[in-house]
Amino acid sequence: MSNTSSGAASFLKTSVKQPYIWAIAALVLLLIINLIKDPSYLGISVNAVTGDLSGNLIDILRASAPIMMIAVGMTLVIATRGIDLSVGSVMAVSGAVSMEFMHDAGDGSLGSALMAIALALGISAFLGLINGVLVSIVGLQPFITTLIMMLAGRGLAKVITSGQNTSASNEFFRWIANGTVLGFPVVFIIGAVIVALVALLVRRSALGLMIESIGINPKAARMAGIRPVGLLIFVYILSGVLAGVAGIFSTASVMTVEVAKTGFSSEMDAILAVVIGGTSLAGGKFSLTGSVIGALLIATLDKTIVFLAIPSSATPAFKAIVIVAICLLQSQRVRALFSQRRARTSTPRKEAVSA
Amino acid sequence: MFKTPRFRSIAGFALVGAVALGLGACSAGGGGDDASGDGGDLTTIGFVAVGPEGGWRTANEKNIQDSFSEENGFELKYAPATNGDQNSQITAFTSFIDEDVDAILLSATEATGWESILERAKEAEIPVVLLDRGIEPNDTELYTSHIAPDNVGISASAAEWANEQFPDGANYVVLEGPPGLSVVNDRNKGWDETVDSKLTKLESQSANWSTEEAKSVFETILKANNNDVQLVFAQNDEMGLGAALAVEEAGLKPGTDVKIITIDGTKAALEALAAGRLSFVAEYNPLFGDTAIDVVNKAIAGDKVESDIVVPSVTFDSPEAATTALPDRQY
Repeated sequence: MSNTSSGAASFLKTSVKQPYIWAIAALVLLLIINLIKDPSYLGISVNAVTGDLSGNLIDILRASAPIMMIAVGMTLVIATRGIDLSVGSVMAVSGAVSMEFMHDAGDGSLGSALMAIALALGISAFLGLINGVLVSIVGLQPFITTLIMMLAGRGLAKVITSGQNTSASNEFFRWIANGTVLGFPVVFIIGAVIVALVALLVRRSALGLMIESIGINPKAARMAGIRPVGLLIFVYILSGVLAGVAGIFSTASVMTVEVAKTGFSSEMDAILAVVIGGTSLAGGKFSLTGSVIGALLIATLDKTIVFLAIPSSATPAFKAIVIVAICLLQSQRVRALFSQRRARTSTPRKEAVSA
Repeated sequence: MFKTPRFRSIAGFALVGAVALGLGACSAGGGGDDASGDGGDLTTIGFVAVGPEGGWRTANEKNIQDSFSEENGFELKYAPATNGDQNSQITAFTSFIDEDVDAILLSATEATGWESILERAKEAEIPVVLLDRGIEPNDTELYTSHIAPDNVGISASAAEWANEQFPDGANYVVLEGPPGLSVVNDRNKGWDETVDSKLTKLESQSANWSTEEAKSVFETILKANNNDVQLVFAQNDEMGLGAALAVEEAGLKPGTDVKIITIDGTKAALEALAAGRLSFVAEYNPLFGDTAIDVVNKAIAGDKVESDIVVPSVTFDSPEAATTALPDRQY
């Protein structure tokens, strides 16, 4: 018992030093603002008709799942000094493939849902592989490579569905995004499990360290015997697959793929979540926990805007202000300024004690 | 060998070549049909379009493309915007001017910022016909004609229906498109001018024309107001369908607990209306290719054309009306 509490205390201590502490603070602040507007905001009730848990927190968890997926993939890519702008388009491709397949299958069976998922993830992985090969073997810049894939991917999604928004009906597929297990949204549980698996994979093996080493100093990493090609291909494939999962999540929630809208500008949400989580865009050290918190923050922010009934024309500005504030608080200089002031105020006291 | 700079440059060239070939193939594909009629018999039309956006847009652009066919004596160059970006539209527009096409059709993604480029088209004496989306400021000197269904009138008819349905007042929510579009401004205008003051507007949010966003936005609005919302005015079908999903998820019944109004009248919306999930669908008629041909021909011949042409649209207020209209719905 005391062991766990000291563990929790040390976790608290370490997380206070993390850059994402401000993201947690902002998250709590947003929830408090919502709570002031409506004291029952955090309440979770059982819906009398559907029998599921319902509440704003549940909605936030559900909305954060797709962002979490792409943010985790993006974190690893950014850690290698890369960037993956194609995640939004890969989401659209994945959604288009699964919807088109189930639309054509038309039987709504579990089998066709699983097949659709396999196909969607397969194609997402393939698009990630192309990104990875172009970046690592051909040596194109990640920005350009994935920018091309971003345009090509959306084009591909349009070709797959012949430019139409395609709907399908499949109970299991719908359940992924809208269903619940013991009252909790399935989509968040799946998301959390995937994040945990990725975290185990990179943190319990040397993979994470190797990815960081490429980002910190590629030359030194190579001298130390780390082969960047395989690692780069791996992170881009992973990012593609996770974007594919995100695409499945977001199309399953409405059982429609909107070729021009699904995943549109999601790459920005992912990059924001990564930056809010404290991973530097210059590559190197990364924090998956931070990115998950970033994703939760973005989902909360989106929901708060609607909950507070902020006029739609003002929403981009509101979002921007919150994010700029967090980034400012996290920046090295501002943090240095804080610690300097703390140091300055504490020094005289020390002298007084010694005198 | 993979790592030598030479290999990289070769690979780079190969890639550039492949892309160029691909692009070449595209343009060849687009222009391939006119190989026979290159002599100049065909009237060349540049169509600066929005591209895939939803059911309505697809129907509209397909109708325009089908109308301006070779049989009708046209060669249509179709240039959809890249992800709804105005810059890509301006680029396409400029290249149509440089190619000296006979006329340009424009569906602008953004209402503002077209003055200088329209001025250039005017200097080049190329008639410009605006399809669906208008421009702001609306300077009729800069273009030949604007063909569109009447957004203000359509949303006013939706508001009239709402007034009839809720004589004792109700709480309602507006789901709008991205702020700044002329469509959004007009649909807001028609609604706000006509809707009875007994009806209380709780919130007006943008859901970017998207089903997914509309669902997410409306589930939160329902929670923020303890499900005390009786009416949704969704400015397109997709958002209305998203709102219906959110209503169902909250354990309410769309059509009885929450009435949903949508604009556009796509097949999916009429099916939902027939099933009772939507309550009122106002059509925004996308099929005006024939009118456009007429206007373009007159403009090229130098005849006078009316600067504002309204395309007639109908409304559907019951499942029965939707069921009757469904069999020959084209979009």
